Parts: sequence; C-alpha cells; structure tokens
Amino acid sequence: MPATRRTRTSGGPVAKGSQKTLSFGNKVTKPATPSSTKDKAHTINPKVIDVGHVSSKAAVTEQARVEVEAIKSEKTPEEERARKVSDAQIKRYWREREAERKAPRVHQEDVSLEEKILRLFDMSSQFGPCIGIARMKRWVRANKLGLQPPIEVLAVLLKEEDKGNNKIERAHVDELMSSKFILGEA
Amino acid sequence: MAVPEVEGSLLHAPTDQKYAVLERQSSSYKTLETFALEKEKHYQQQYGDMYFLRLTKLKPAVEKIAEEAWDGFQIAGETVRKVDRVLDVRQGELCWVAGTIYMEMPLKPNILDDISKDHWISAPPPRQKYLSPTGEDLTMLEDESGRLRLVGTPLANEMLVTGCIIAVMGTENANGDFEVVDIKVPDLPPQAERWHTSSPPTNGTSRKKIKLDEDGDEDMDKPASVGKKIAIVSGLGFSGTESEHSLEINLLVEYLLGEALDPTIQESVSQISRLIIAGNSVALDNEAVSHDTIGNTRKSHKKYGYDSSAYNPTPIAHLDDFLATLLPSMPVTLIPGFTDPANVSLPQQPIHPAMFPQARTFGPMPPTDGQPKQAGWFDTVTNPWDGEIEGWKVLGTGGQNIDDVFKYVESEDRLGMLEAMCRWRCCAPTAPDTLWSYPFQDDDPFVMSSCPHLFFVGSQPKFDTASIEGPDGQVVRLIAVPRFAETGEVVLVDSETLEASVVRIFVA
Repeated sequence: MPATRRTRTSGGPVAKGSQKTLSFGNKVTKPATPSSTKDKAHTINPKVIDVGHVSSKAAVTEQARVEVEAIKSEKTPEEERARKVSDAQIKRYWREREAERKAPRVHQEDVSLEEKILRLFDMSSQFGPCIGIARMKRWVRANKLGLQPPIEVLAVLLKEEDKGNNKIERAHVDELMSSKFILGEA
Repeated sequence: MAVPEVEGSLLHAPTDQKYAVLERQSSSYKTLETFALEKEKHYQQQYGDMYFLRLTKLKPAVEKIAEEAWDGFQIAGETVRKVDRVLDVRQGELCWVAGTIYMEMPLKPNILDDISKDHWISAPPPRQKYLSPTGEDLTMLEDESGRLRLVGTPLANEMLVTGCIIAVMGTENANGDFEVVDIKVPDLPPQAERWHTSSPPTNGTSRKKIKLDEDGDEDMDKPASVGKKIAIVSGLGFSGTESEHSLEINLLVEYLLGEALDPTIQESVSQISRLIIAGNSVALDNEAVSHDTIGNTRKSHKKYGYDSSAYNPTPIAHLDDFLATLLPSMPVTLIPGFTDPANVSLPQQPIHPAMFPQARTFGPMPPTDGQPKQAGWFDTVTNPWDGEIEGWKVLGTGGQNIDDVFKYVESEDRLGMLEAMCRWRCCAPTAPDTLWSYPFQDDDPFVMSSCPHLFFVGSQPKFDTASIEGPDGQVVRLIAVPRFAETGEVVLVDSETLEASVVRIFVA
C-alpha cells in the first residue's frame, strides 16, 4: 500500500503564515492537462437534455421531440391521414363527443377546443396511462397496439406542433400530479 | 540409447502409433436482442405502462381461449356473457372478464415498510414466502378501470401471481366479491419451426466418425447419441473468501476440455458444442462490507467509487481464469444472475467485458458500419436471454423470475412454475411488482410473443426437467439448472431431441 500522501488543501485549519518558508510548488503529482482539450471535453451542448436525471417535464419534452422527428421523417400513413383532417372535421369530432354526454362539460369554458380534445384523450384510459409520456408517443403506441385512437387527436397534435406550441405534449394531469405545491404561494 | 523391450515393462521407446484427434463440434448460434436496453435510459416513466402493455398484448389471446371454452355455458338457465372491463361486472349476473392478477399480501415488501425500516433497531430478515400463514392474502383482478376481489375454490387449484393475465368466469356476490367458477390462461404462444430464422449448416447433423485405436468398449457405454450437446451450468459461485468447491470447478474445466477420464467419455465430451453459464457465477460475499473488531460497520473510505480496503477482486479474477481456460476450446454464453456484477433490475444487461481482461479477447469484433452485429465466441448476454442454438429457440434466465414466483405460491414445484410462466406467456410476471425491473414504456419484452423450444432457469436447488405440450402442438423443454457450488451438477442438453441429462462432479 502506498504511503498516504497528505496535502494541506483539504486538511484542518492552518495557522496563517506559519509555514511560509516551506514551498511545495515544485511537487507536481499529476500532469496538468492542456486547457484546450479540457475545455473541449467539458463543453455541454445546451440543447441536449439529460432526461435520466431531470423532471418528467424534460423527459416528456425529449420524448415528444423524438416522436415528432420519427413521424415527420418516416411519412407514415397515419401522418398523411392526420394532415388531411380539416378544422371542420375536428370541430365535428368534438360536437359528437359532446353529444354523447347528458350534460355539458363545466370548468372547461376557458380551455381551447384543441386542449379539450387532448384532455379527453388523456382521460381515455383504454389507451394507457398518460402520466410520464408525451401525448404524441401515447397516440403512436396506442396505434401500434391496434387500439385505434382517434385520428383527430393526432391531427390536433401535429397542428399545434407546427404552430410551435411546445406545451401541448404534456398531459395536463401530469402537470398537476408532478408539480410540487409550495404553501403560502398564490 | 536403445531401450530393451521387455514384456510387462512400462518403459519403452516412443511408438509411431497415430492417435486420432478429437474435434469439438461447431455450434450454430444466434443471439436475439429482445432484452437489450438502449444506451440512453429514462426513468421518468411510470410502471403502470408495463401492466397496460402486458394486458393489451395478452388480452386478445386469453379472450379467444375463454370465448371458445365458455361459449354458450349455462348455469341454472343463465347463459354466460362477456364483459369488456372489470368495472362493468354487475352483481348477480353470470359473466366472464379478462384482466391482470394482483395479489394483495400483507407480507409482501412494501416501500412504506422500507422507509420505516430506518427507524427500527434491526431490519427483519428477508422472507422465504410472501404467503400469509393466516390466510390474509387477497387475489384481485384488475384492469385500467378498476379492481375486483376474486373468491372461490378454483383459485386454490390454479397457480396465480401478480402480473399474470387471465380470464375468469363467475358472478359477483352480495359482498361485492367475484365468485370464480372457472379460470383460463393465455396458454402457450405460437411456436415457430426449428431453423425458422437461421438455416441449418450444410453438413449439419452428420457426425464425423472418429476411429480410435481402442478395443471397442463402446457397447459398454450407453449408445452415443447422434446430436451435439449443449452444456448449461449455473451458480459457479466464485468467492473471494471460500474455496470449498474449487476442486470441483477444476474438475469441471478438465471434464469440459476433455482432459479428464477415458477416451470414450472424451469423445462424448467433444460433442459439447457450447457452454451456457446461467447466472450467479460470483458468490454473494457478506464480508465485502468492512467491519472493525467489534463487528460494527466501519465508515468506509471511498476512493474511485469503492472502498479499497474491503474490495476483493479475486472472485471475478477467478471467473476470468475459468473462462480463459475454456474459451480456446469451446464457445461460452454468459448470462448474469442476481449476485453477478451487472445491474440488479431485470432485464440485467451483459456483464461488461472490462471485467474479463483475459476472456474478452474472445469477445465480438467491434461493430463495423453496414455489417450485422455478430455474436462473439465469448458472448456476455442479458438476463433473461433469448437466442437460437442449433435452430431451437432458447429462452434462459438467471433464476430470479422463478425465485420470485416461488414466494407467492404454496407449491415447491419449480417446474410447475416454469410451466405456468409459459402458459401465462410471461417470463417474469412478478416484475415490476416484487421483481425489480426497468420501467418499459413502448413494449413489455417479458411477454413471450413466440414460444421457445427450450426454457431454462439457473440457480435452482435441484436439477429437474420436463416437456410440456401446448394446444397447437407446441412442445417446450423445461429445465431447472441446479447451483453448481452446492450440487456439482452440469446439465447436458441434446441438440436433436432436447433431452436433458446431468453430469455430477463430486470429490469424495
């Protein structure tokens, strides 16, 4: 076992000026790395989010990015179908959903039509859990499993994605469930 | 110097007699990467996704079987009716529904207990079984809509654990419990033919005749089988502190290399085309935590992520030696187990080649662009692992899946649990409830989409084998591979018939 090497940097308090005559300046134990290579290794791409160690919000953002890229690069038949869905059809879809109910939805007056459709999709448990998963990914997964999720939902998602609405991918209930409430605020 | 040839003397000149060279049979082998995880893993997703995926994948299969079995079934003039969701079951109506089993057991580990453990003086010992001796366990059926408590005699006859997908027929009684009349499971998945995805080698099964200059005592030996053999060993248990079975391990090496025993056995050993190590190659070392003289755990001085004063690298070095001795002669597949230096949660990822400074030279070539990834001569794989050996689809695990199911059921019959897993079409049903698992979100790889021909689990108390048949003529060979450190047993599987035999190495 090599002898323990003690450096004073992390040791106990040193009386100031008590050891001024001793110099360890020439004792180099480790070759100093050239600063240029060090900088290169430690440059972090700010666009890359390490989703393994962050909140579900970042994870969902990352998932959505992957899914949107996949759906746009592959030109799937679902995407083509969704692109053809008109605004009128989306409105008709929502009217049909509303007609299934006995009473109109309350507390949703100030929510946009798109968000209403997406919240209904979130709450449709037959397509799987909606927390911790991007809406786009959940739709694609449900489609892959043959559960026939409504095409209007994908159409809304693609439209909002094109508008640059980046909050659309996370389920509202996910936000509610994973937020940390701070007492005394609001 | 001329040596006089005297009758009976062992001392004589070298003969020019030619001895045949035994050649080891080649192995046709392919690894499927069903259980490999992405390099970039996310842990933000919820475990609920896994149950959803499993139910969605298996519900059509079990509903088909249930529909065929219970179509037009009547009790007291009432015909059975199918309900789609658990919550749609109405009281007093005869109906059937498919869902996931959830076992509510007071003795099951609980995260809240784990937290409160910090406040106890000493932690309770790990349990042998989760079964409550006073019968407080509840069996429930759940899906995305809700849960239903199951009662009735058929539950006692059927092996049920958390996470398996079944269909139940019965009626809800006045207490709100579901009185079960009958249970159906998804049964064996469809099975592909042998050599389904790979092609047999052209000179395939025709065995090279080896002439030995021995008086034929072949008839004394049992008739040599035509096929090659696959050796499966588990629980080698290399330890840094104990060397109780090191002699057995050395004999195992000599046996597998064909250095031991007589030429007839050496010839049969040359038929072994591959060694599979099914988990727990390194023993669990309780001494790894450093203690001071009165037994308190010493505050470890960690540097580079480990306590160098307590760290003992010999077990893995012994394993590396063991592998490096065998590898020049035969290919090896290494499946990690519970005690091995891999991640703990299933699917365990391959043990890193950096652990084997000698053996890794037999590893796969670095992947080149455009070339399909080739399995190396020394293949460290995932646990569970599936692949193709000699055209058969093989599924193997390090044994954690069976050991966990064991805790749920009264029976001690390990093969019965293996069979039940095949019939549930799920090779790790208790993940992610009591068996640690990665939270899969896109696909549940533990669901068996196609039926293996050979299903083995390592680290079992004793050797056992059986063959089970499915409704569509599927045949699965089940093998429980014993721990070598305790039994000294190696399992040999015939590559043509999939018959399993056992070789016992014993030092008296």
